[in-house]
Amino acid sequence: MSIPYRAAFQFLASRWSNELVVTSAGNSSQMWWEVTHDADRVFYLDASMSLSTLLGSGIAYGIPEAKVWAFMGDGAFAMNPGMLMVERDLDLPNLTHVLVSNRVYGGTSDLDLPNKSANDYVAMAKSMGLTRIWSFETMNELENGFDEAFRGNADGHRFVVLEVDPFTSDDHEIEEPPMDGPEIKFRFGRYIEKTYGARVFTGQF
Amino acid sequence: MSNPAAVAKLIVQQAVDCGVELVASLPDNWMASVIREFDADERFRHLSVNREESAVGLCSGAFLSGTGSLAVMGASGLMTLIYAITKINYTYEIPLTILATLRGAPGDKAKFHVSNGLYFLPALDAISLTYKVIDSSEKIPEIKSIYDHSRTVSRPTVAIFTRDVLRGDA
Repeated sequence: MSIPYRAAFQFLASRWSNELVVTSAGNSSQMWWEVTHDADRVFYLDASMSLSTLLGSGIAYGIPEAKVWAFMGDGAFAMNPGMLMVERDLDLPNLTHVLVSNRVYGGTSDLDLPNKSANDYVAMAKSMGLTRIWSFETMNELENGFDEAFRGNADGHRFVVLEVDPFTSDDHEIEEPPMDGPEIKFRFGRYIEKTYGARVFTGQF
Repeated sequence: MSNPAAVAKLIVQQAVDCGVELVASLPDNWMASVIREFDADERFRHLSVNREESAVGLCSGAFLSGTGSLAVMGASGLMTLIYAITKINYTYEIPLTILATLRGAPGDKAKFHVSNGLYFLPALDAISLTYKVIDSSEKIPEIKSIYDHSRTVSRPTVAIFTRDVLRGDA
């Protein structure tokens, strides 16, 4: 069972309020841009290869009052599952790690992941001591479990697995976020400064 | 007389002067005293990471929150970071400062660091990664200028320590 990629992201975007969002290389960046066209509250970390949730962790650590959703594809996760050890040590209550599992390298032509049918991401997370874990394989499950899995600064780090379909042929036609890296940095950083009072670019010395 | 703990305190004080709060490390034997000093100092949140790339992710995110950070690692670890640094810190122009070791230099008796002796600094040069070699304790205060330079140019910078400095012998 799995959720159409676009439907899952449309639902999350419909429930999105004030969370900061970090997307990962390829599909999640494209689809979040497609369904939100937001360029201020989102850091589109294309070409991250497993570092999106750790970058999100750095943001969440520095701004405890912010809530951060950090997306990562399971292709990236396969490259660095030990990231969960670091995230478990940090145990940030304002970070939600959203593992978008489509069992393929979605950003590079949907070629298969190794061991794709047997990978059990929930079990991997449990093996590293995570306890706040959710997995959704249908839209009904996601709709019913969203508030518990995504909302609020609760007790600690959250790990949410979304089992989704690979992009459709139409999905593959959607555009990349049309911004260079520095624009993404400045728009996101200026939003952080304005909203949370953090001094990202000012007062560095 | 060797006194790596005293050197570690000097290095940690530099981090304080830089405004660093978050330190992410993956050990190198030469850096062990420095890492222990960060870990024991309540002015920092020190995190052991699973691989050096994770430190790049964390520290880059910390920058976006306005939080000062440092990544600490060995030369071999830094050699694994070409992709992360060029794709994240160069693409997005995100500052990052790394403390690393000058493995493979004369005096390093570890044969498995021969490759670092041959290629470590040339590899950094190849990606135009700014670094300074700290080869005497008198140069330890340069850490702050290396850190500040990263913020000025919005790119990563590296302070690379020799064995003798980290042992307190130089």
